[in-house]
Amino acid sequence: MEQLDPVTGEPVAIAYEDVHKAFGSHKVLCGLNLLIPAGKITAIIGRSGTGKSVTLKHVMGLLRPDKGRIYLGEEDLTAMSDKKLRHVRNRFGVVFQHAALFDSMNVYNNIAFPLFEHTRMRKPEIDAKVAKLLAQVGLSGTEQKIPSELSGGMRKRVGLARALVRDPEFILYDEPTTGLDPILAAAMDELMVETQASRPGITSVVISHDMHAVLHIADKVAFIVDGLLYAEGTAEFFRDHTDPLIHQFVTGSLDGPMKV
Amino acid sequence: MGLHVGVIARVFEAVGRSVLEPIEEVGRVSKVFAFGFANVFMRPLRIRETLKQMEFIGVQSLPIILLTSFFTGAVFTLQSHRAFAMFGAQAMVGGTVGVALTRELAPTLTGLLVAGRAGSAIAAEIGSMRVSEQIDALDAMAVDPINYLIKPRLLAAIIVTPMLTAIYDFVGMFGSWYIAMYVLNMSEPEYMKRTQEWIDWDDIWSGLLKALVFGAIIGTVACYKGYYTKGGAAGVGQATTSAVVVASVAILVSNFFIAWALP
Ligand SMILES: Nc1ncnc2c1ncn2[C@@H]1O[C@H](COP(=O)(O)OP(=O)(O)OP(=O)(O)O)[C@@H](O)[C@H]1O
Ligand SMILES: [Mg+2]
Repeated sequence: MEQLDPVTGEPVAIAYEDVHKAFGSHKVLCGLNLLIPAGKITAIIGRSGTGKSVTLKHVMGLLRPDKGRIYLGEEDLTAMSDKKLRHVRNRFGVVFQHAALFDSMNVYNNIAFPLFEHTRMRKPEIDAKVAKLLAQVGLSGTEQKIPSELSGGMRKRVGLARALVRDPEFILYDEPTTGLDPILAAAMDELMVETQASRPGITSVVISHDMHAVLHIADKVAFIVDGLLYAEGTAEFFRDHTDPLIHQFVTGSLDGPMKV
Repeated sequence: MGLHVGVIARVFEAVGRSVLEPIEEVGRVSKVFAFGFANVFMRPLRIRETLKQMEFIGVQSLPIILLTSFFTGAVFTLQSHRAFAMFGAQAMVGGTVGVALTRELAPTLTGLLVAGRAGSAIAAEIGSMRVSEQIDALDAMAVDPINYLIKPRLLAAIIVTPMLTAIYDFVGMFGSWYIAMYVLNMSEPEYMKRTQEWIDWDDIWSGLLKALVFGAIIGTVACYKGYYTKGGAAGVGQATTSAVVVASVAILVSNFFIAWALP
């Protein structure tokens, strides 16, 4: 029996059920329920430190919940062995908050690394694939550069190329535009939309602080407050909402129930 | 009443934590060693990466090992010659220095030097990969960081430390011989006789065995401290320092127990 996401009407790809996670005595997720629709872009928003990155790390088993379940389709991730989880991870691509490129490798090796590790593709094929991805993210010809020679925006785009190199079913972006200038940020948003459009069926999850972009690109928005899902809906739903908390967050104002 | 119960509970909690934390830590360290070692025969084997680490730990430590070993042998010869001269036993210098060097000084000083040079670098590298989420990225790409990062470094440290110790033995003895011949003006047969009589293969082997253990300690502690680094750049600094301190102390303490256990 397939579950449908109430916001988009699409089948559910990932489901969080009552997920709890604490670090020591610091409770981060306190019973999170969240549905990620298949083949769409879902944005997760919330204040710094509310556990957005933690939420994302759970879906790949980089963190395990203290309580609750996370389903990937029909499979229960929380009951999986490490070995099986590693298998599941092959279906994901992740763009990390600070790119997390391997600083001991050049751009080429960073992008090709998952191919060297998991496939028997031959050098010419890999070269072609890396060149194609670099062209897609607008960084053709940077193969030999090392990460410390790149700007933050370039690094994130290399991170995106690396995440896409194995044609994942899911792509997770952790704050893809934070720290970029407005033009680069817009280019990155465009890149996400293009990625989504050019890979039918791919499911994207984006964590972002950039409300303008979120409302522009997301099919579904989930707002997390204090480790719980506070509200979910389409971009329109959030844009015009009168709830003081949502309104304050969406408009980025200092007046309202949330304090600094 | 309530206050008392609260205070008592807190005291127990603090005591409990101060007992549990070291135990947990020992557990995690053993896990790093056990998993790293168990991975040696697991695919991918990472032979190239291991060779690279051997080059880093071994070849790049050579200059410092050559320099210190020569001077260790030299100063030890100088000092024991002074002492032995008081009762006319200069001929014992070579043998004494040889035994001390192969059994104790070479493995221990090599261990300390490798801990300071390579142990710190390993902890810093893995630690900064941890805080910049590169280790999460490995996990996310379904690459086991134990297999990819820890195994090659652990293995390299275990292989290379005894090799460096053997070099330390050899160059240290050369330093001793050089000082005996050219500074103390001893005669070659006089120096050589006791040296050959006294140094046993047992001395050399026991030194190399120690070095093997020290290599395992350095690799394990450095990888452990790096892997569990927390808290940004400051955390990396802390991990680095504590890797060197913990590895050095562990080397000196375990040295005693190995010496005790060995014949
Ligand atoms: N591995 C960890 N160990 C201990 N605490 C952690 C760990 N990971 C996250 N936390 C804590 O969990 C909380 C949520 O962290 P998280 O990184 O998910 O926030 P976030 O919503 O992504 O914030 P930001 O928008 O600033 O990235 C923070 O208070 C953080 O200190
Ligand atoms: Mg985050």
